[in-house]
Amino acid sequence: MLIIESLSHVYSGGVRALSDVSLTIPNGMFGLLGPNGAGKSTLMRIVATLQTPTSGFVRFDDIDVLANPDALRRTLGYLPQDFGVYPRVTALEMLDHLAVLKGLSEPKARKAVVEGLLRQVNLWEHRKRALAGYSGGMRQRFGIAQALIGEPRLIIVDEPTAGLDPEERNRFLNLLAEIGENVVVLLSTHIVADVADLCPAMAIISDGRIVRQGAPSDLMASLAGRIWMKSVDKDELAEIRAHHQVISSRLFSGKTVVHVLSDNNPGAGFAPTPGGLDDVYFSTLAEAHPHALAA
Amino acid sequence: MFAKVAAFEFRQIVRSPLFWAVAGIFFLLPFGYVASEHIHIGDTANVHKNSPFATIQVDLIMGMFFMFASTAFVAGAVIRDDETGFGPILRAAPVTKFDYLYGRFTGAFAAALLAFASVTAGLIVGSMLPGLDPDKFGAFRPDAYAYAFFLMAGPSLLLTSALFFLVATTTRSMAWVFVAVIVFIVAYIIANIALGKPDLEAIAGRWDPLGLFSFDVATRYWTANDRNSLLPALNGALLFNRLFCVGLGLGALALAYPLYRHSAAPGRSAPLPDPEIEEAVTPAAAPSATRRFDSAGLFAQFVERTRFDMGLVFRSPVLWVILALALGNASISLWTGTDDGRYGAAVYPVTRLLIPALDGSYTFFVIIIAAFFAGELVWRDRDRRTHEIIDSTPAPDWTFIVPKTAAVSLVMAGLLLVGVLAAVLVQTFKGYYDYEPGEYLLWYLVPGVVDLTILSALAVFGQVIAPNKFAGWGVMVIYIIARFALPANGFEHHLYFYGGTNPVPLSDMNGQGRFWIGAWWFRLYWSAFALLLLLGAYALWRRGATNSLASRLRTAPRRLRGPALWIGLAAVLVFAGAGAFIYRNTNVLNDYRTGPRDDRWLADYEKTLLPFENLPQPEVTSVKLNVTIDPDGPSLETRGVYVLRNTTTQPLREVHVRFDRELEVRALSVQGAWPKKTYDRFDYRIFAFDTPMAPGEERTLSFDTRLAERGFRNAQHNTRDLTEVVDNGTFVNSLEIAPIIGMDRSLLLTDRGKRREYGLPVELHPAPLGDQASRAHNYIGHGGWVTSDITVTTAADQTPLAPGDEVSDVVHGATRTAHFVSAKPILQFFSIQSARYAVKSETYKGVKFSVYYYPKHGENVDRMLRALTTSLDYYQANFSPYQFDQVRIVEFPDYAQFAQSFAGTFPWSEGLGFIADYRDPSRIDMVTYIAAHEFAHQWWAHQIVGADQQGATALSETLAQYSALRVMRQLYGPAHIRKFLKYELDSYLRSRGAEASEEQPLEKVESDQGYIHYRKGSLVMYRLADEIGEDAVNRALRSLLAKYAFKGAPYPTALDLVAALRAQAPADKQQLITDLFQNITLYDLKATDAVTHRRPDGRYDVALTVSAEKLYASGTGVEHPAPMNETVDIGAFTAMPGEADFGQGSVLMLQKEPIVSGVHTLHFITAVKPKFAGIDPYNELIDRNSDDNTIAVR
Repeated sequence: MLIIESLSHVYSGGVRALSDVSLTIPNGMFGLLGPNGAGKSTLMRIVATLQTPTSGFVRFDDIDVLANPDALRRTLGYLPQDFGVYPRVTALEMLDHLAVLKGLSEPKARKAVVEGLLRQVNLWEHRKRALAGYSGGMRQRFGIAQALIGEPRLIIVDEPTAGLDPEERNRFLNLLAEIGENVVVLLSTHIVADVADLCPAMAIISDGRIVRQGAPSDLMASLAGRIWMKSVDKDELAEIRAHHQVISSRLFSGKTVVHVLSDNNPGAGFAPTPGGLDDVYFSTLAEAHPHALAA
Repeated sequence: MFAKVAAFEFRQIVRSPLFWAVAGIFFLLPFGYVASEHIHIGDTANVHKNSPFATIQVDLIMGMFFMFASTAFVAGAVIRDDETGFGPILRAAPVTKFDYLYGRFTGAFAAALLAFASVTAGLIVGSMLPGLDPDKFGAFRPDAYAYAFFLMAGPSLLLTSALFFLVATTTRSMAWVFVAVIVFIVAYIIANIALGKPDLEAIAGRWDPLGLFSFDVATRYWTANDRNSLLPALNGALLFNRLFCVGLGLGALALAYPLYRHSAAPGRSAPLPDPEIEEAVTPAAAPSATRRFDSAGLFAQFVERTRFDMGLVFRSPVLWVILALALGNASISLWTGTDDGRYGAAVYPVTRLLIPALDGSYTFFVIIIAAFFAGELVWRDRDRRTHEIIDSTPAPDWTFIVPKTAAVSLVMAGLLLVGVLAAVLVQTFKGYYDYEPGEYLLWYLVPGVVDLTILSALAVFGQVIAPNKFAGWGVMVIYIIARFALPANGFEHHLYFYGGTNPVPLSDMNGQGRFWIGAWWFRLYWSAFALLLLLGAYALWRRGATNSLASRLRTAPRRLRGPALWIGLAAVLVFAGAGAFIYRNTNVLNDYRTGPRDDRWLADYEKTLLPFENLPQPEVTSVKLNVTIDPDGPSLETRGVYVLRNTTTQPLREVHVRFDRELEVRALSVQGAWPKKTYDRFDYRIFAFDTPMAPGEERTLSFDTRLAERGFRNAQHNTRDLTEVVDNGTFVNSLEIAPIIGMDRSLLLTDRGKRREYGLPVELHPAPLGDQASRAHNYIGHGGWVTSDITVTTAADQTPLAPGDEVSDVVHGATRTAHFVSAKPILQFFSIQSARYAVKSETYKGVKFSVYYYPKHGENVDRMLRALTTSLDYYQANFSPYQFDQVRIVEFPDYAQFAQSFAGTFPWSEGLGFIADYRDPSRIDMVTYIAAHEFAHQWWAHQIVGADQQGATALSETLAQYSALRVMRQLYGPAHIRKFLKYELDSYLRSRGAEASEEQPLEKVESDQGYIHYRKGSLVMYRLADEIGEDAVNRALRSLLAKYAFKGAPYPTALDLVAALRAQAPADKQQLITDLFQNITLYDLKATDAVTHRRPDGRYDVALTVSAEKLYASGTGVEHPAPMNETVDIGAFTAMPGEADFGQGSVLMLQKEPIVSGVHTLHFITAVKPKFAGIDPYNELIDRNSDDNTIAVR
């Protein structure tokens, strides 16, 4: 179990990235949802021992992460949001190298683990290719393979599906789903569907604060009967915004489809719609930032 | 549109920080040169800092370095858009390819020129600083600045900018442009060395893209006066070269047009498509394995990290490019490092010569590689954005820093090994198979790896504390500059300059001697400090996202807990302990000396003691020395007795006794005298006689001295551990171990700038030619003719040697004692030598000739013996009988490169001739030449010796050169003498341009003007013998011997030599003697055309057109034309004189013809059609351009 208590972080320039974040994360997949710049990566890096917070406390099982980062590293698998590769180094070489760093010093056992992981992420065929030539999906799968070295009990994956095409994303999520049963998997993303598809528990972070947490189904249930939609022309949008709490608007077949949050039927052509996780997310953000929601 | 593009580009660059950084650097460098007395580029003592010559030289050299900046500007102009991703947008704009390409270049090049103008600004501002030494500056010469900028540097900059612009437009890659610049520079250096031979300079002058050679050729014989006043005429090769630069530059620009594709940059190949189409089946989970975090696991991590880091270095193309350059550079150095250069001689490529060649040409590249990859490795994970993955692994912090340092060290070791292999290959190619792997290991590899590891630690530490890679490299650039700059300015102690250590001179005879001891103490000291730096780098290592140095400093103490602390404490202890031990050796047991301190000492010495110079002193008439050498100590103790006689006409009240600065004086007494005053700092003592010494009276002086190594010293510049007394190859002369009576002018401070700085009279001249008072002493040590009795004791396995007849030689236990007596009068100047020698002897005409040599150096011993016997015949036949019964050549280690002539005994450096390679018989025989020269000194120094005034060395060195040339001529024929004369001529002409004081005519030569008494002396005497006949010259020399041989004061002067020659010369050669000895006379002879016609009788008419000029020069090089009216050789040949195929058989005709100033056509007839014809083909005259004397016949 990963316990985060009262975590705050202020960058040297005065930017406040995290404010009093507290989370308790049990085994299984946990989704951390938030827009870009909300502080997801800062939180991930702090948990991954790469950054020291201004204040707060992080504990994983019986490890005090901030006081004893090396102990956590021994049981950590981390896939950063954005990582590069060395030139002229193959996947096999790189994975082998990382396996040594993770303490697999027996060559024979290491070889078996590395080969097994490459097969598990379906890169066996391409193990002798330079990583620099990999596509985005292959690179992310390599990323998850390295995160799995040494059977970590805490796996952190930061924005793993950004930039993947739908098929690649699908395959990647399947891979994640397999491993996330008996260990803590902390998945950060700004894509609602990632969380909806995978995570039994989630939190929404905005402006460095946790603004909502719970099981996706519970959160969706809380919106039942309160979401209304209407197809409108573009010039009507300003009028609707003035009178209703708009949580999202998007284009569909040339018309603008508006979702508004209302305890009662707002009338005027609005129809009820079952709330999805999208609506939870956008309504949460809208509540956190009543004036910032422009899209 | 073109103008707008250009103006835009110009503004872009001028606004960039790079522009201002470059302009700042290129302002400060020339500014520093002008304002500092320690930086010299083109200026010498007599050449002004702001002279046209120095101005052009600075502009050219700065232009060479500026190539990097101008390339960055012009290449950036075409590459920048692709790097920023702006390229497609710009190319879609309505700008033609021409406007885009050339507009960019024009703007960038204009900005580059503006930045380069800071050089001129720096020179001008620097020269206007208040408080500069007015003697070092001439008039403000705007024309010179303009000439240097527009005609010299400008065209070369255009050429290089255009060339690299072409590379940039073609490759669109800064990396390739960088590689091209490096390749260009190395090719330039290689060409520089390859074309650096005198006969190829003309070619280099025409085609040098940077103009350095062209300028050098155009000004090579300029005197100080010329350099201060003239600008080179823009014609001939120089004009050609400038046009070549501009033309090639424009050509490269034109070529850029078709090669530039005005479309997207050639991108990298598309990434692999994700191959799985089918839904991935879930494969079995990976097997599990135990993980280890104990010491075995950590060791595995260390090995893996090191291996991985090394792999990344070895896969980097940068490594291979720099290595290729380094090897290219080194192979030239290794190949030519064993050419003696002088007279085209060669030596065997022995290991001790190749190691310095590697150090000079290869090691520097390895240092650059170390600094470069330290930056690459420290920053690699961040640069490649793998650091978050790597940093979150459980690898402990030290597995980041230690493997990177180890990887750099191991790569360095590999590279040094490659250097050794290159050296061994060169040895093999040259047919030298005496490989010495142990020497390569201990003399080069091990010290090299340690030094480079110490350096790498600094590079790694610099990268860890620097905010980015470039700043980290900047640390190393500053370090490398400081490495040169600090010692040059008196900051010489290796204790405070990181990585500094004693250089170790190498010798075949004596190996590394004891020099390695100090060197390794310094290595221990700096290794401990390097370890501290690595601990610091470990403590401050960036792990994770933390970046600022301040935040890392806060967390550093936590990392330093535990073992790191103990390692650190141990390193501090070793550092402090080794430092204290070194300090005790370098500053307590020995004097710590620096260049400025030595200068100050010499200045004080002169101020205090030179007033005693003319004090009448008794003369030594008999010397008894008892010398005990302990090669293991090493130490040399001397007990001796001088007999002093008052040879003056007045009673003497005092005797002044001085000693070499290194010498410890343990006892000194003068019969009937008491020590009146002692100058401890100068080892100078004044004794007063109780009763004055009457004329003719004799007294004894007894002394006891010790010359010993005490620990080791801080070796730098003039200071190093004792080279005189060593394990194998001790060589001292009497001035170093025995007292000197009276004060003289030898070994005082001569540099005019320093003399002024220390408040001494600027000029230090000897007594003027013709001065009578100075005829009381000869110029060698002020001593008179003495008898000697020298006993030398050394280790039993060594041979002790000193001048004189050997009367006994006994081994007693562990020691061997030899006793040498010279009953005949000899100069008071002795050599003492001891080493484990092999000996080869031969008796010829009652004289025993012996060569004492290092057993592996037997190659040329027979040649030496033959040279000596041939010389004996010539000298006895033409001069006078040889005065001793023996001649000994005695080898000494390569700590100095000379041979020296003591009475019947010639110490001869192993660095000179012993390893000369004569397997190619066309090589000039330097060994014979040196042997003949040293042997000739037995007449010209040891029979007659010049008075201590101007011209003294004309009586010894010039006559020894003459004698040796006659022996060489007898052995090899006159046709081969040209090579010698040509070398002597070029050397003389070059050296006179660099004269720091005033060039003297030969009869007034001063003892430090070797280019006059050796080089010009050879030319003068050879020509004189050719003009008045060898017999006449030898008659004159015999008359001189008859009058002065073995006679005491008054000693002969150069006036006596000139008078003796005049007495033997006919009336029409008297003016020639005036020109040769009393004037500085130069000629300009040139063959302009040669035509032949076949005559009806089958022979050939030759019409040779020549021009001739003659001029006189003043001591500072101001020239005045003089009417020429003398006879000069005219020749016709079937081969070019001086070429390999030229021999006596190539000469069809050679005769003297009267030549007057102006252009003439000479007619003569030859039996065979000549291929070449010319005037003064053997370069007997001092011709300012000797390469145009011979011309191919039409």
